[in-house]
Amino acid sequence: MSPVSRRCVLTGAALTAASLIVPIGGRAAESNYEITDWIAIAPSGEVTLGLSQPEVGQGSYTALPQILADELDADWQRVKVRFVTGKAAYKIAFRQEPPAQKEGASMSTTALFGRLRIAGAAARDVLIRAAAQQWNVDVAQCRSENGFIINARGERLSYGDLAAAAAKLPLRSDPPLKDKRRFHLIGKPLPRLDTVGKCDGSAVFGIDVMVPGMLNAAIKTARAFTGQVTAIKNEAEILKMPGVHAVVKLAALAIANEDAGVQHPQLPNLPRHNAVCVVADRFWQANRALDALDVEFDGGVAADLSTVKIEAMLEAGLDAEQGVTALERGEPRQILKERAAAVIERRFLLPHIAHAPLEPVNATASYKDGAVEVWGPVQSVSACQEAVAHAVGCAADAVEVNVTFLGGSFGRKIVPDYVLQAVQASKAVGRPVKLIRSREEDMQHDVYRPNAGGRFRAVLDDRGYPLAVQARVAGQSLFGAVRKSWLDHTPEGACDESMVDGIYNQSYRLPHFLVETVDTPLPIPVYFMRSVGSTAAVFFWESFITELAQRANIDQYAYRRNLLANDPLALRVLDAAAQASGWGTTTDTFRGIAYNCYIGRGGRFKTYVAEVVELARIADGLAVTRVFCAVDPGLAVNPNTLRAQIEGGIGFALTTALKSRITFANGGAEQSNFFDYPLLGIDEMPEIVPIVLPSDRPPQGFGEVVLAPVAPALAQALLHATGRRLDVMPFPEDAFRSRA
Amino acid sequence: MAVKFFVNGMPAEFDGPEEVPLLWVVREHLNLTGSKFGCGIGLCGACTMHVDGTAMRTCIMPVMMAQGRHVTTIEGLSHNGEHPVQKAWTELDVPQCGYCQSGMIMAAASLLSRHPDPSDADIDREMTNLCRCATYVRIRAAIHRAAKLR
Ligand code: FES
Ligand code: FES
Repeated sequence: MSPVSRRCVLTGAALTAASLIVPIGGRAAESNYEITDWIAIAPSGEVTLGLSQPEVGQGSYTALPQILADELDADWQRVKVRFVTGKAAYKIAFRQEPPAQKEGASMSTTALFGRLRIAGAAARDVLIRAAAQQWNVDVAQCRSENGFIINARGERLSYGDLAAAAAKLPLRSDPPLKDKRRFHLIGKPLPRLDTVGKCDGSAVFGIDVMVPGMLNAAIKTARAFTGQVTAIKNEAEILKMPGVHAVVKLAALAIANEDAGVQHPQLPNLPRHNAVCVVADRFWQANRALDALDVEFDGGVAADLSTVKIEAMLEAGLDAEQGVTALERGEPRQILKERAAAVIERRFLLPHIAHAPLEPVNATASYKDGAVEVWGPVQSVSACQEAVAHAVGCAADAVEVNVTFLGGSFGRKIVPDYVLQAVQASKAVGRPVKLIRSREEDMQHDVYRPNAGGRFRAVLDDRGYPLAVQARVAGQSLFGAVRKSWLDHTPEGACDESMVDGIYNQSYRLPHFLVETVDTPLPIPVYFMRSVGSTAAVFFWESFITELAQRANIDQYAYRRNLLANDPLALRVLDAAAQASGWGTTTDTFRGIAYNCYIGRGGRFKTYVAEVVELARIADGLAVTRVFCAVDPGLAVNPNTLRAQIEGGIGFALTTALKSRITFANGGAEQSNFFDYPLLGIDEMPEIVPIVLPSDRPPQGFGEVVLAPVAPALAQALLHATGRRLDVMPFPEDAFRSRA
Repeated sequence: MAVKFFVNGMPAEFDGPEEVPLLWVVREHLNLTGSKFGCGIGLCGACTMHVDGTAMRTCIMPVMMAQGRHVTTIEGLSHNGEHPVQKAWTELDVPQCGYCQSGMIMAAASLLSRHPDPSDADIDREMTNLCRCATYVRIRAAIHRAAKLR
């Protein structure tokens, strides 16, 4: 289907079908004219812009409509945004998957930029033609401006006046696009459209959904990932508690996989009930009843899963005779063997971590006679529809998904396990149910960012630059667990590029280079998390570069500059970050620099980032005072939301570098809430200095790109300050204690 | 015996168990959902309301402790979002996902009522709410801005 296909109907229903919150049955029925899949215009002139990408905080709610409105020449003061779903135009392809409607991989703006421009321009084109017909003049005499079509005589017709006629005209698939110099919204730091609602309490998140007849559910899950419910001992008593309707056993879910029906390869087969929920009138009643519920679980086949075992597997992977070759250039094996005595080696270790969005996962579902409607924080409409359809045995299109604002996600809310639990509960009680996980349930039953270990070996040439490098990353393979179709198959086994993302695909000058992966499969549910493998891989890689530069006794910035000399875009960000930070003018501050080119899945985009982290001495040690972040993001559609992503992304990465660690014992996760899985606080947040470089390239992905260089730049600054090498994340607590 | 208190100036009454957290009474019985649930143990501040003008984490505050007191939620902080903190917040576009922000705004409003012109150190000490999106740079700037708007 072409991206501008439409049904030419006199209704706004198609666009409003999935507004941010809609009561069951009743739909806001405005008489809007649907001009394209993305644009509806009311006779009043109010323009409704469709938003296909869930708003998780990244700013899509503003930046994507900005693109449409610019090409449409709409009056920005009179636009409204509605979440839309159900059309092919809203789906985008991620690598070699079928197209899906989801937010992820920093892909939204890159993938939709051209499509939204065409949709906006096609709508403007029919409005101009409608006006020309009405005036009986040539289209060439009509131009658009801020919600009006204006003719050569200076007469004006508003978009509202023209909407009915325009909706009947056929759309062009190749409408004339605006000259970039005429952009009046794209590239402007417009305020976010969702800010007001997020400051007065009116923005509706999943947890706030209310639908008529709704009940509430609280859930308890077996601690062990392979566990199941073995006994519920006091169900009769619980059912007598005030407000309680039912105690429902929930089937374990197998959905962290590209195929909705396929089980995580390391988890035991279905069916298995691994959770129980209490359904009550109020959530607090459900919660109290759940506390009183006497339920027993077993640990299942992997009840002995523990961090000790996991780390032993990782170490074995790092030391294995052979890995899977992701890249081999020159003769790295031979050189490293011949010059064994000169080999420089570093090892690194990273744990699993949890997404921990501040809004714990929750969903509201209504199951009625095989039809399902869902409301909630859903990052991938398509994945949610497919999983629900598979679970209840209906067509994916028959599952209606109403997307609310997401109170954070970072990849977590693509996996709709919590939605399926709400569906099961609704099916059991015959009424709509909102199921909310406690923080503890959210934390202990996340789909974690996998662990990783690194073993890096190199021999330097006589000028101190890498001659031969071997980079090996071991860990639980993300693709191996949830994206088998994304694995690259080699004679040595399957290679998961996400494990070495930011190592194998950079432009450093490395004449003899070997990159290897080693999968250590585990029965732990895992999934994509903001910046995916690059947080680990770039920490390893850039820390290793730091080591080599130090051995060569060459300045860290100069060393990287030399190695990246053939990549002008890389040099541009590196120079910008170094200059802004006053690199080389050290007084009593310590600095570290790191670089990464973040490459979108399937090579869809390239965003260049360099960061300098600055430390200063404080009374009892060291503190991060400033982070300079130079980026080349292509065209910045909204520099305001882009800067917010720089600020927030660096804060997020600092949490990962300094605090995040999930450990495992007795088959499950040990951490449960923010006391043992803390987040960065405002007192630890440095000043952020963003440097956004102008670019003629189209918009490149951005939501994840600033994260990866933070940890290695910080580790390097700490190395300068304390002389201590950091090779684990999170950094040890005393890493900031100054030694000098 | 029912617990009686005021929410955003209106009388409210709850006749359920006295230890039910105020957060859930307000969210589920008064349908005021601007205050959020983030951790349930008083660590994140997403549930912050004012009780007699002071910021309280209501996920761990039994409703009986509100007896006779005045509770203010984000919905009642101002008409049309014109509290200086809300104005500063929108001016600087603080929220990302937004989930923590009603709690942040309530905490900041309470801070400003005690420290009309807070220093960075005051902010570091008093603003212990958590933001997973790490909007802290703008939160700090918006608190300083709000101090000027008052
Ligand atoms: S929900 Fe109350 S402090 Fe976190
Ligand atoms: S804005 Fe997302 S948690 Fe604060």
